[in-house]
Amino acid sequence: MSDLAYVIEDDEDLSTIFSEALLAANYEVETIVNGLIARQRLQESTPHLVLLDMHLPGLSGEELLTQIQADKRLAKTIVVIATADARLGDAYRDSVDYILVKPISFTQLRDLTLRMHSRNEKE
Amino acid sequence: MTRNRHSFINLNRLLDVPSTDPDDARRRKLLNIVLSGVAILAILAGIVTFSLASLLNIMSSQDVIIGIFSGLILFIGTVIFFAINRSQSIPGWVASGTFLLFLSVVLAFTDTPQELANGRSLYVFTIPIIMASILLSPAFSFVFAISGSLEVIILSEAASIELNTFAIVGFFLIAFISWVSAHSLERALKDLRTTNANLDRLVAERTSALAESLVRERIEAGRNIAILESITDGVIVFDIHGKAIVANPATTQLLNLHHDQVINSSVHDLTRAQALDAKNRVILADLLSNPGQQPASYRVHWGRKTFSVSSAQVFDTEETRIGTVAVFRDFTHEAEIEIMKDTILATVSHELRTPLNAILGYVEMFKEAVYGPINERQARASERVISNTHRMLAIVNDLLDQAQIEAGKITLKINPFKPSELLDNVSSLMSKTAAEKHIALTGEIEPELPDILIGDLTRLQQILVNLVNNALKFTEKGSVHIRMFCPDKNHWAMEVRDTGMGIPGNEQEHIFEPFHQVDGSMTRKYAGFGLGLSIVNQLVALMGGDVAVKSTVGVGSVFTVTLPIVQTGGIQHE
Repeated sequence: MSDLAYVIEDDEDLSTIFSEALLAANYEVETIVNGLIARQRLQESTPHLVLLDMHLPGLSGEELLTQIQADKRLAKTIVVIATADARLGDAYRDSVDYILVKPISFTQLRDLTLRMHSRNEKE
Repeated sequence: MTRNRHSFINLNRLLDVPSTDPDDARRRKLLNIVLSGVAILAILAGIVTFSLASLLNIMSSQDVIIGIFSGLILFIGTVIFFAINRSQSIPGWVASGTFLLFLSVVLAFTDTPQELANGRSLYVFTIPIIMASILLSPAFSFVFAISGSLEVIILSEAASIELNTFAIVGFFLIAFISWVSAHSLERALKDLRTTNANLDRLVAERTSALAESLVRERIEAGRNIAILESITDGVIVFDIHGKAIVANPATTQLLNLHHDQVINSSVHDLTRAQALDAKNRVILADLLSNPGQQPASYRVHWGRKTFSVSSAQVFDTEETRIGTVAVFRDFTHEAEIEIMKDTILATVSHELRTPLNAILGYVEMFKEAVYGPINERQARASERVISNTHRMLAIVNDLLDQAQIEAGKITLKINPFKPSELLDNVSSLMSKTAAEKHIALTGEIEPELPDILIGDLTRLQQILVNLVNNALKFTEKGSVHIRMFCPDKNHWAMEVRDTGMGIPGNEQEHIFEPFHQVDGSMTRKYAGFGLGLSIVNQLVALMGGDVAVKSTVGVGSVFTVTLPIVQTGGIQHE
């Protein structure tokens, strides 16, 4: 399994913070700011983790989620969604691995993804 | 008939003597009647004497001359008395008194002294006695009994006959009877007058009261109509058969219908208006057909307008339902503002949290030495930025929650949950704050509480966090204890007990109001907007529960949230 992680987030600052957290968790990070680009990248590669903002320009987080679930190649990809609305997050409880409600702490995200990454390395 | 009545009125006018004293008027009128009778009698006597004398050819007889002459005198006398009696400047008793004296004297010459003193004409002296009691005053009967007795004595002396003592006693007896009867008659008349006066007063009072109330009613009715016509809300009144009987000008203006299109139309007719779509048609029809069984008011979209419509049953004073009143308030502007508010809420929610998240993230990275090593002071400063950002986030969340509750936007997501999970979550969330303040945060679940409850875990957690947060905020030392239990078999409860400063009795009822803090000056010391308890209160209400507070200043407070135990079968999962 690769060390690749996608941060799909349109806010530049949040994207930086999330990337830094994933970098600290030893991931190889690619930041994507647009839903349409994200769809294309997901068709081309198989990341170990996707941190997905539900509120995206181009293509919504929900549509991307549907695509990920439909793609058998991405079955093992860990999906973490980031949303400002806790209620909205609850709706995806069964379809994603983790739901993070904004504000998302750098340390929490780093510690969480570090555990996932180390589990990956053990496999 | 009319003529008769007319002459009767004229006769009355001749006999009546206007007087302020009703007794005086009555006596004067009676005297006038007597005088008229005597005058007629005198004329008749004169005519009869003259005719008989002419027939018998004894005109030159002395008796005849005396007869005619005395008739004439009597007539003239009565006319004089009549004139005196009618004069209002002369007291009433003058005419009647002198007339009776005159009568007494005249009577003494109507027969021979023998007959008058002790014979067939003795009775004549009773006439002035009876008349005095009526014409003068009841007691005057005795005066004329005395005068009659004196006359009898004088006549007896003159005729040299024995005095008839029985006659004199009889005179006084008659005087007594006259006095009694006249007296009671006068009293009866007086009572009657009083009764009549009372009746008159009563009638006058009632009449004026009635007139007043009529005037008042007319003023009030006029005022009500003026109010109805000038208010900006549309008001339609339907009768018991559902037919519109009243519609004010605002109605026709708001609904953009002609007055004739509203009046006499039924609920069905009204809801068929083109401005209504199917959904709003059903809402309005339901509202107007079942007044009082719906929420206080409904939003109805009527064309490009939005109305807040409320309906109520109309009862008369006997509590009988007589119809329905519907009020249409133009809510278009408010509805637009509400949509704007929702948009602003969503934007604020996103726009406030995103930069706060960025601040938090960068400071954490700084503190975690992502940008290179930092010293201890820099680390402490970063901590302060982090904790203050969390505080600000909490305020933003509270404000957004409050706004959402107020807008009725919060819906509960009901699912089974474990009470232990709720307690664990809250304990772990709040333990750091408690530890920082050196306050013991403890929790217990009483055994009778079911292992699985039904409810919105996230919101229940929010309630408990707010209560614990509040308890920690106002407690300087001691403990905060969470207890979950069943007060009865249909309810479960969450209790948060602290050893804080307590809430004064007069403040306890206000603490659940938004933006309320017990003492305004404390806001600076105890950060927050005073929204926590308001949110708790509203969320608990939304769950069909109740929140209560017991507190003693200086000892501590106990907040208890009581919620119904929801049975699994009746739950609709959202």
